[in-house]
Amino acid sequence: MFLGTTRSLVGASKRLWTPISIRSLSTPNQPSAPSTKTSTTAPQIKAEPTPTSATSPTSATPMPVKESAAFEKPPVKEWLVELWRSLTTLFNVLVLIIFLFLEYSRSDRLADLEKNARLPRSVQALYLRPLRRKAEHGLPVCDLQLRSYSAENLEFFADFAIRAAYYLKLPVSGPVPLPRITQRWTVIRSNFVHKKSKENFERITLRRLIQIKDGHPEAVQAWLAFLRKHAFYGVGMKANVWEHESLDAGKALDASLPEIQKTVGPHLAQFGQREDNKRPGTIFDALDNARYAEPKNL
Amino acid sequence: MSKAASMFHPKRLDLSGFVNTRVIRDHNKRNAFAQMEPERQALRYIIRNTSLPQRTRAQAQLQLSQMHCYTRPTQIKNRCVASGTARSVFRDFRLNRFQFRMQALAGELPGVKKASW
Repeated sequence: MFLGTTRSLVGASKRLWTPISIRSLSTPNQPSAPSTKTSTTAPQIKAEPTPTSATSPTSATPMPVKESAAFEKPPVKEWLVELWRSLTTLFNVLVLIIFLFLEYSRSDRLADLEKNARLPRSVQALYLRPLRRKAEHGLPVCDLQLRSYSAENLEFFADFAIRAAYYLKLPVSGPVPLPRITQRWTVIRSNFVHKKSKENFERITLRRLIQIKDGHPEAVQAWLAFLRKHAFYGVGMKANVWEHESLDAGKALDASLPEIQKTVGPHLAQFGQREDNKRPGTIFDALDNARYAEPKNL
Repeated sequence: MSKAASMFHPKRLDLSGFVNTRVIRDHNKRNAFAQMEPERQALRYIIRNTSLPQRTRAQAQLQLSQMHCYTRPTQIKNRCVASGTARSVFRDFRLNRFQFRMQALAGELPGVKKASW
């Protein structure tokens, strides 16, 4: 009901407004005011409104003079409006011409590009399946497991990792979709009592396995560092790296033993002690200490 | 022998999130346990070591039993970080079941969705 009334009011205002504006714009010289003055002289003049007829009644009474003076101004305004309108149309036409010209040239250029140019190969490759190196021996070197809660992020990053491996010349297999980890929780809906009304929540962890085969350990490390540098949001990584030695690794180990002992020595001296609890002597010295013999005041 | 728990109070409150008397108390217990753990382990070692003289072992037993109760690991109880509640706190999120539900519904726990199967 309220809406109906408002709508009708708005309509009325429109009906009131529009005729006045149109008249004032379309017929600048037509005097609309003479309705007052014509009533004094003659009602016929209203039918044929001319500047002369408008001016003649003005001399008859002092009041209409002011009114006519007031109506002398509109013609200037109207003239300006006309000028402005023509200018805008001219401007619009110009803009249209320029736009058409530009459009034409752009389409021309695009056609030219399609004919004669192409995207760079590296960009083109993004629209195709990732390239892969062939494994010569098929010896697994690194297992990278990617985990995420969202499939899109995971797929995107797996794709990224495989492309990166290609450019590092690492043969790669995968991504292998590993079984999903589903965790479920059932909680009571309310914060207090109402034990029978419950709600279930779950978290599904998606996993992908990417395996690197017979790559150089340094290249593998570079690949892992690159992936870590460009880590994607919401995707976790876990890598198992295997290094392979030659058969006489034992001899090499024996040879390197003294050096290793030297480096490990200071660490082994602290064996059984915490880093922040450095004290001179062994743990037994501490146990024999009077502090331990006394009863505790704690 | 002073048994005041105030000896384990930190000078300044080193807690963030939801703070409560009970939360602070639990935090103090954790600190006390962390501080005295080597001593407890040493005493337990002495008590269990059959090669040591009986007298030493008995003394160690006495000392261990006389340590402050705050230094025991059994005093520590997981509390909800959002509300301080001690009951039905999920270890995965350190949240109470109700806080977990509210946060899961608000989408604040990554990957957690309403399940239907």
